[in-house]
Amino acid sequence: MAVAMLIGLWIFDELSFNRYHKNYDRIVKVMDHQGMHGQNNTNDVLPVPLGDALRASYGSDFKYITISRETEEHVIASGDKKFIQAGNYMQADAPEMLSLEMVYGTRAGLKDHSSILLSHSLAKKLFANADPLDKIVQIDATTNVKVTGVFKDLPDNSEFRTTTFIAPFNLFNANKDDWNNYNMSIFAQLNTNAAIDEVSAKIRNVLSDKTKGQEGTHELFLQPMSKWHLYSSFENHVAVTSEQIKFIWFYGIIGAFVLLLACINFMNLSTARSEKRALEIGVRKAVGSARSQLIKQFYTESLVIATFAFILSLCIVQFILPWFNGVADKEMTILWVNPWFWLAGITFTFTTGLLAGSYPALYLSSFHPVRILKGTFRAGRFTAVPRKVLVVVQFTVSIALIIGTIIVYRQIQYAKDRPVGYSQSGLITIQVKSPDFNQKYEALKAELFNTGVVANVARANYSITDTRGWNGGFNWEARPAIEGQSFNTISVTQEYGETVGWQVIQGRNFSKELTSDSAGIILNESAVKLAGLKDPVGQIVKWEPGWRKNSHLKIIGVVSDMVKGSPFKPAYPSVIFLGNGNWLFVRINTNTSIRSALSKIETGFKKTIPTVPFDYKFVDEEYGLKFAAEERIGKLAAFFAILAVFISCMGLFGLASYVAEQRKKEIGIRKVLGASVFSVWKQLSKDFIILVIISCFIAIPFTWYFLNGWLQKYEYRTEISWWIFATAGAGALVITLFTVSFQAIKAAIANPVKSLRTE
Amino acid sequence: MIRITHLEKVYRTDEVETVALNKLTIEVKEGEFVAIMGPSGCGKSTLLNILGLLDDPDSGSFMFNGIEVAKFNERKRADLRKRNIGFVFQSFNLIDELTVFENVELPLIYTGVKAAERKKRVEAVLDKMQIMHRRNHYPQQLSGGQQQRVAVARAVVNNPKLILADEPTGNLDSSNGNEVMQLLTDLNEQGTTIIMVTHSEHDARYSHRIIRMLDGQTVLENIMV
Repeated sequence: MAVAMLIGLWIFDELSFNRYHKNYDRIVKVMDHQGMHGQNNTNDVLPVPLGDALRASYGSDFKYITISRETEEHVIASGDKKFIQAGNYMQADAPEMLSLEMVYGTRAGLKDHSSILLSHSLAKKLFANADPLDKIVQIDATTNVKVTGVFKDLPDNSEFRTTTFIAPFNLFNANKDDWNNYNMSIFAQLNTNAAIDEVSAKIRNVLSDKTKGQEGTHELFLQPMSKWHLYSSFENHVAVTSEQIKFIWFYGIIGAFVLLLACINFMNLSTARSEKRALEIGVRKAVGSARSQLIKQFYTESLVIATFAFILSLCIVQFILPWFNGVADKEMTILWVNPWFWLAGITFTFTTGLLAGSYPALYLSSFHPVRILKGTFRAGRFTAVPRKVLVVVQFTVSIALIIGTIIVYRQIQYAKDRPVGYSQSGLITIQVKSPDFNQKYEALKAELFNTGVVANVARANYSITDTRGWNGGFNWEARPAIEGQSFNTISVTQEYGETVGWQVIQGRNFSKELTSDSAGIILNESAVKLAGLKDPVGQIVKWEPGWRKNSHLKIIGVVSDMVKGSPFKPAYPSVIFLGNGNWLFVRINTNTSIRSALSKIETGFKKTIPTVPFDYKFVDEEYGLKFAAEERIGKLAAFFAILAVFISCMGLFGLASYVAEQRKKEIGIRKVLGASVFSVWKQLSKDFIILVIISCFIAIPFTWYFLNGWLQKYEYRTEISWWIFATAGAGALVITLFTVSFQAIKAAIANPVKSLRTE
Repeated sequence: MIRITHLEKVYRTDEVETVALNKLTIEVKEGEFVAIMGPSGCGKSTLLNILGLLDDPDSGSFMFNGIEVAKFNERKRADLRKRNIGFVFQSFNLIDELTVFENVELPLIYTGVKAAERKKRVEAVLDKMQIMHRRNHYPQQLSGGQQQRVAVARAVVNNPKLILADEPTGNLDSSNGNEVMQLLTDLNEQGTTIIMVTHSEHDARYSHRIIRMLDGQTVLENIMV
């Protein structure tokens, strides 16, 4: 029941996503079905002037239209306090539309062009308990703004959960007439009389009309807030079932299943005791109890048990919720004050109680008293069949989950063991969002080397674990550019290669001495392969993106592939340029302690660039985060596997005790005739082993099919080998024998005289 | 064949101590047919269980074929039992899930007789008991008399030296009862020792000797003529 409750809370949390916002029913996001080079994508990044265009033509349909920059990290500073915080640049109606709950100031605060709204927790971090209104804060060490409001932190199940500040959109310096730059989201709130489908149809061609000269096609539509979280997967412009929805189905089914199994087990265990209780029933009937009274008695018993179970499950859920939140990456709490929760809980308890109690109540009470008292009562030969089916079902699920867990963990381990192409340990990275970083870089380098704990320092324009730049149009000497063939591009300083420790395979690294290197590029192996180059070093590449001065580039080296994106995908084909960037990489000397090194680096860093917080990240830890989703699946699978095994064992134990009880006489006879304890144990266990083997035969093809499908998602994937199935099957057999043996041995060592005397 | 001397068996629960056998001394010779009689609770069934090596005495001596078996452990008792003793119960105690043939075959399986040999011996004994035509039926498809014949067949299939019968006619009508008693008498005439617990004076008259028990002791022995 506790598990069903946990899953229920989780599904409730997923389904109530964004409901925090009062205008939930009317808030929409402008989405764009794009088509370019034969590829169809659906996304929400749009050019800035589209906002005004919509306002001008369809203003009467919308209450608010607000352009927003995606949630990004910026340095927010007040005095010596500096923090890297995620936030949005948004137009003035946003706070009203999102119904932010204000702690200080009003939602209108954003109308001031040099203002900022802070989340309550950020305000506390900056100003402790002082009144934050009218205080000045600085964004990215450049823009001073005044705090005009503080809003309550947005809940974890809001689209804007990471937003800790909202700054006026005009501060973002976006070009208001640039239809070529797709970099903004547009949120809107419909007027009460506007129907979403009609407005969607009206705005459909607005973007394509305005961008006639551009490549590609556009088709706009509105997506209601209720669909943002769970229904945002599109393939070829058609909404497809998202991973989240699949998860909800998956866990919903597991929850219902766990509950059903538990109910059936409860029934099972109580009917297994039926032969013992039969006498009680016979006596009760003999002394005049009506059948209805017996039914009432059994229902009361099961309802009382179910109520206790409900109370106990509340305690258990309260106890394990913090752990579950950690695994599921959520902030769920028991909904103590939600009447629906209690209604659901009580309905649920009542139903469980009735369901679990019905079989014993109706079946046991129908026993004929005379037959029971004479001792001739025997359950029919086939009463064990439903129990056997149940055991098979339970073990099928258990084995499937055991196999699933092993394969998920093997996939994670496989990707973790993959060589990343550079050296992660002792490498830290800091994003330096400061306008004067370029000027101060050399000074910073000198300062860091002075500490004596730094082996190397370099810069690049992207983090090494998340390299986003992609460019096409490279005309190789051997052959011209191929349409749609794009390369991951990154600008680095000369020391980058040595700092991150990549492996040069051909040619050389960038050099400080050779000024000609500014027109040199380095490729990785995948890029060489994709470009189809033989002997790449020394070849010339023509690349004319417009904004680069030198369009003739010379390949000076080839390096091994580095895993910069998903560890489950092939390495990006990369073209590496000489340049700058605001990502700083520091390689710590191998023979120094990390802790003291960090404090020395921090001192040096703060001395040179005081405006930026020293918010370092270890590259290996950042890389580890890429496995979070898979590890979550793995942990949940393990949790459910253990649970399923546990429940199955209870079911099995129930069946074993039932069978042992039912076959007591038979065992007695066999023992009188000379059967040994071992042969009785064998006899009793054999039937269960057969059931588990049947389960294996059902579970294995099913899991193979399902997990093979799951693994197809990953281009870099482990193989499903036979030993995984063998292990899971053997594990299930061992568990079965262990569970059954208790009853089997108990039955086998019982004195046959006793079992025969009851006749 | 059997000599028990000063045999004691006491059943204890938390509050009550019941003396089932009180320094009992009995001797049964090979080839004898002995009936044990007495009121309920006199210790007949306890005696039969001990004689059948299903239960062990608290003290006293139990010589079986000249061997002291009172202190035998479970495994040794089981081994001795399955080779030497056959049982016939009041309520037949056939296994409902097995056919007549399989029920009779069971003791042979436990003594490790080969399948072909088993088939031969089971068929022979079923023939002798005149239930060959019922070999593939299940116990519940048979009449009480037929079931008891199957039980007797099972008891003798191993050619035991001793048959212990616990009220073998208790659940049968008189004609079926007489038939079973005749079977036992025939077996006895062929050399098998039989010890039978019974409430029925009529059945007891088939035996050579009646031992009457009360409160765990023999009170009287009648020699039948």
